[in-house]
Parts: sequence; structure tokens; C-alpha cells
Amino acid sequence: MLPLFARAGAAMVPGASKLPFVGGGGGRDVPDLALHLSDVAIDPDRLSAYNRVCGFDLRDEIPVTYPHILAFPLQLALMTDPSFPFGAIGLVHIANRIAQHRSIRSSERLDIVVRATPVEPHPRGKQFSLISEVRVGDELVWEEVSTNLKRGGSSENGGKPPGAELPKAEDLPATATWSLGGDLGRRYGSVSGDLNPIHVHPLTARLFGFKSAIAHGMWTKARCLGALQARLPEAFTVEVAFKKPIFLPGKVEFCEAAVPAAAFDIQFGVRDPRKGSSHLDGRAFSG
Amino acid sequence: MNTSVRRVAVLGGIRIPFARQNGPYARASNQDMMTATLEALIGKFSLQGEILGEVSAGGVLKHSRDFNLTRECVLGTRLDPHTPAYDVQQACGTGLEAAILVANKIALGQIDSGIAGGFDTTSDAPIAVNEDLRQVLLEINRAKSPAARLKALAGLRPQQIVPQIPRNSEPRTGLSMGEHAAIMAKEWGVTREEQDELTVASHRNLAAAYDTGFLDDLVTPFLGLERDQNLRPDSSVEKLAKLRPVFGGENGTMTAGNSTPLSDGASAVLLAGEDWATAHNLPVQAYITDAQTAAVDHVHAREGLLMAPTYAVPKLLERNGLTLSDFDFYEIHEAFASQVLCTLKAWEDPVYCKEKLGLEAPLGSIDRDKLNTHGGSLAAGHPFGATGGRIVAGLAKMLKEKRSGSRGLISICAAGGLGVTAIMEAA
Repeated sequence: MLPLFARAGAAMVPGASKLPFVGGGGGRDVPDLALHLSDVAIDPDRLSAYNRVCGFDLRDEIPVTYPHILAFPLQLALMTDPSFPFGAIGLVHIANRIAQHRSIRSSERLDIVVRATPVEPHPRGKQFSLISEVRVGDELVWEEVSTNLKRGGSSENGGKPPGAELPKAEDLPATATWSLGGDLGRRYGSVSGDLNPIHVHPLTARLFGFKSAIAHGMWTKARCLGALQARLPEAFTVEVAFKKPIFLPGKVEFCEAAVPAAAFDIQFGVRDPRKGSSHLDGRAFSG
Repeated sequence: MNTSVRRVAVLGGIRIPFARQNGPYARASNQDMMTATLEALIGKFSLQGEILGEVSAGGVLKHSRDFNLTRECVLGTRLDPHTPAYDVQQACGTGLEAAILVANKIALGQIDSGIAGGFDTTSDAPIAVNEDLRQVLLEINRAKSPAARLKALAGLRPQQIVPQIPRNSEPRTGLSMGEHAAIMAKEWGVTREEQDELTVASHRNLAAAYDTGFLDDLVTPFLGLERDQNLRPDSSVEKLAKLRPVFGGENGTMTAGNSTPLSDGASAVLLAGEDWATAHNLPVQAYITDAQTAAVDHVHAREGLLMAPTYAVPKLLERNGLTLSDFDFYEIHEAFASQVLCTLKAWEDPVYCKEKLGLEAPLGSIDRDKLNTHGGSLAAGHPFGATGGRIVAGLAKMLKEKRSGSRGLISICAAGGLGVTAIMEAA
């Protein structure tokens, strides 16, 4: 993972993107590449460590967010490909949608494909999504749309940010308060492989303009699903928008409300306990 | 197999005075306190050398190495070592649940006699190693070769030395029990004055119970302590009004005065079938008539953490053809004054009774002069596992003294959104 991030980091160095091996500025649009990993086995030690840091009970079925960390090396490889138009560091993860068509057992072998959607306008810049698909044999069992924003050069005709229609965390009742340790970014980073410097240490986060390390968006999403684990059906979709960063260490409130009369439809979110502003807005539903 | 159900007699109980955290029992273990309490009960009822049906007891703050703590306590007493024992844990409901378990076995004829007890120390509390250190140590333990052990050892870090002290917070909500109670108090509009008045009554009643000699055969001195250390006979609403809120923020109504303190102690109660009592020439004080547990969804539905007894009691009343006013004594465990008042308000509230409890009419009000008449947890303190035994033993004696056929209701709320309730009747 580190060599990939070294490549991602180099994109931050002025002029580095001119170098042939560094991603960023290589092309105008995302490359028409699809990266594959086949016959991926699930490491039980890594799975249990992931479950512990994200608040999932260890079961024979893997958490709905777990395939994300299996697809992550491919996502990073794609974003650091020389033909990729942006440097991976400096991209902001703004939304994530996962559809699980059936639960995945930890004994299953997975085939993973990652590709990118074309760049689209966003009110604050440009956005594109990474599409990850997981198959068992020929059966598509899991799909993810992970949307990233490249700030600046804002598009004239705006475009619609994903997740804008999600319920706001501030409108939902809080059901739990989570105290997050200063080492959370390192903990999640070590199990997920996402060692982006904005997450792992206050000093490295400061280099990128954050006052301290911030929690991974995908940890926040996973932690919410951990809190909801007992009520999740076999097949469902879970969509979140990442709003304000969560600074570490810190306290956040988890909010949730089941939509009455729906088969399965839970609105949830994470918010600042004092200001009430959203860190994450989300919804999990059948379909 | 026995198909009839027998009456379960409470013959009496005893406890050590409850101490405040890091007080006189600071260096006493759960086993020390429970063994001393069992010995006092054995002395009170001449049980030395007896084989009892079973001893059931438990505590909340317990180290995993104390897996068979109650059995170890039995082996440390003058009871015949052939007396079986087991540990129970249901948070603050532990002591009453232990009594229900023993009572049910007696009722079914599986045993003829038994002791139900409970204990807790907040002073000699188990401390867990830092989770990271625990993982490294387990990895070293699992390693099969010296090289693998060395590799695992390399995971050691200086910050892992920081231990994990047990926290009094709900695992799924992250809030302490006091914070939960403060939310309940706000929802039900419980005032500071009401809470402080209830607290004063608790201290006044417990002080009177000592002064009149009621507690003489219910409490046995331990480590130099003769009365509950938390008891303030001169407590007053004026004095309590000066305390700062500790839960619910600046404008909160809950203080260290109207919340129970962390405490240490143990209690035990002797239960039996009537034949066994007669054979041992021991008079019956009261019977355990029925019991009911319940739980609320404090996690997703945001129900009040300590409101489960509001669900349990209506079921208990219905099954026994009783109404809320059919009791001579109400023993409602005072985890917090606010939680007692929330419970009473809920039973009086038509909307809550209809929507939550499915009742056509409110469950009703109670005569406050019959509530915790000999003191409650606010005055005595609340070593979690020991409170049930304190209440069962006290209520049995109160019923015995009142009159034949008199009736008492016990209601105990517990962490995890649990509630344990029971009805007792005088012999």
C-alpha cells in the first residue's frame, strides 16, 4: 500500500505531475481502465480487526462495508495511474453508495473489478466516481459507487452533488454518543490500508490544511452500519454523503430513525453534538 | 416429575452495612464480603453443616478469574461443601434475579432450600489491560515458535501500559447511566425539588429503621462499619439544594445527593419450601408470590434506559388479579431519585400507559407513605448485586410485622434497559 501512496503523495509536489510515473494531470478525463483482482480470499485476522475497529460483531458473513477495503488497492492504483487526471491526494471523498445483493460469507472467493466514471461538473469543482463490483463466480453480489470531488475550477452549470436528497443528520434523533480516540485514523488505516496522511497523524494532517487528523469517511459509514447491524437485511442499499470532517480525538452523535411502515428503510447520520451539523448523512433501504 | 407448584417462603436475610467507594471496604474483595455475609446468615439461622439446595449470587463488577465466585464463597463458609452454587449477573437486577431463580426451583420442587445473594465492590474493581496490549499478549500466547513470539512481542508499545478502568456507561449508547437518567428526568419534567424530597425521605426512613432497631437483625457489622456509610440522618432539602448538578448539564436537576453513590457491600436471603422451614423450626416471614422481568429498547427507540419496570409491573398485576393500589409496601430501587419519579409519573400518564403499556387506563398512583418506608438505595448506597437481597430481606420483615396477608411490590431497574419486579406476601 505504501508505494501506492508514495506515488499519490508525489502528485502534491509542484511539477511532480510532469514526471512520467506520477498520477495527476496525465489526462483530461479519467482513463478507460478496468482493474481486476481475482480469487480474493478473506483473511480472518484482518476481518476480525476490521470488525473490532468498526463496531461489527464477528459473523460468518462479512460486513457490508468490508469489500470496500478489498477493492481499495485497485481504487488507489487507478487514481495513481499516469493517465489519471488528478492526484489521489487532495481528492475529497464526498459520497458512497453500496448495494449488497446478498450477504457474502467470509469463506467465499471474490472477483473484484474497479473502474471510474467520466468526470462531471460539481458546484465546487469536478466530480467522478469509482465503481467497484464484487462477484462470486458469475454472480454480482456487491456494488459500490464511491464519489470524489476535485475542488476548484468550479463548473459553470453546477451539476448535482450526490446524496443531496439524503435526510440531514440534524433532523434525526440521536441514539448514541461515540468518543473517538486520537489514534482512530491509524487504527482504521492499518486494517483498511488507507494510510492517507490526513487520517493518520495530526502533524501530517496539518500539512494538508487540517487542524488535526480526521476520521476516514468509510470508517464513519462502517461504524454506523455496525450500530445498525442487528437490523440489516440480507440484501439492501446503503447510501451516505460525507459532510464536515470529524476531527480526532472527538465526540460525535449517532442519529437514526426507521421510516414507519417501510419494509426496511432507516435514515441515519453522524453529527456534531454541539453545533448539530452533519458529518455524515445516510440512508439504508431495501432495493 | 412434580407437577404442582409449591409456595416459596422467605425465612429472612442479612447484609453487611454498605460502604462508599474507597471507604472501609476498599481492600475487601467481592469474595471477602460475600463470604462474611453468608457466614452471618449461617449464624442467624444455624445453617452450619447443612447441605442447602443451592446458593445463587452475583455481582456486576467481577473479574473473569472469579468465574465461580459464589461456589468459592460457599467453600469458605461453614455450610456443608456439598452445597452447590452458581453465579448470576443481570446488572442491578442481579440480587432479585438470583432470588427468583432459587424461588422457582423451590416452587418446582427441584430444591427445598437455597440462599440468594449478591455483592459488588467498586473499590476493588477489576482493571482490564489496554485492548491493544491484550491483543499483543494473546498473540504471544498463540505463537508457537520463538520467532513468532518475538514477532508478536514487537507489537508492544509504551502507551499500551494505560489500563482500562471499568466505565459505568451503556455500551451501545455511549452515555453513562446518570446521563440516561437525566434525559428521562427532562422528558418527564421531574423537578429538582421532587428529587431532593425523595432523597430526604430515603435518608430519614433509613435512619429511623436503624433507630427503632428494625435493622438490628438485618445488618451485621463488617470491618468496623456498623451502619451504611452513605446514610445522612440530618439530610434536608435545604442542604441538598446547595449541591451542583452532576448530570444533565448546567441546568440539570440531578446531583450527587439525589443519585446513588458507587458503593461496596453484600447481602443474602434464605429461601425454602414450607416443609423444610417447619423441619428446621424456622418461621416463615413472607412468600415470594410472583416475579416478572422486562426490557426496553433504549438503543434504537430511545426509550428511557431505566423504564423497564414500568412494563413489568402491569404484567405482574394482571397475572395476579391485582391493581397498583393493592399493596402495603412499594420497594422501588432508587438508582436515582429522578428514575423513581419517572416510573411513578409513567404509571399515572394515560398516553404512556396506552401507547407503551397497552393499557386502557393509567396504571394509577401509589400512596407515597408506603414507598421505601425503611429507606432506599439513595440512603443505603447501592452495591449493584447486593441491592436485591437488601430489599427482599427488608420487605419480608416489614410484611411479617405488618399483618398476615399484607403485600409488597418490588421494582428494580437495571443497566441494559432491564427491569426485574416481584410480589411478596406476608405469611
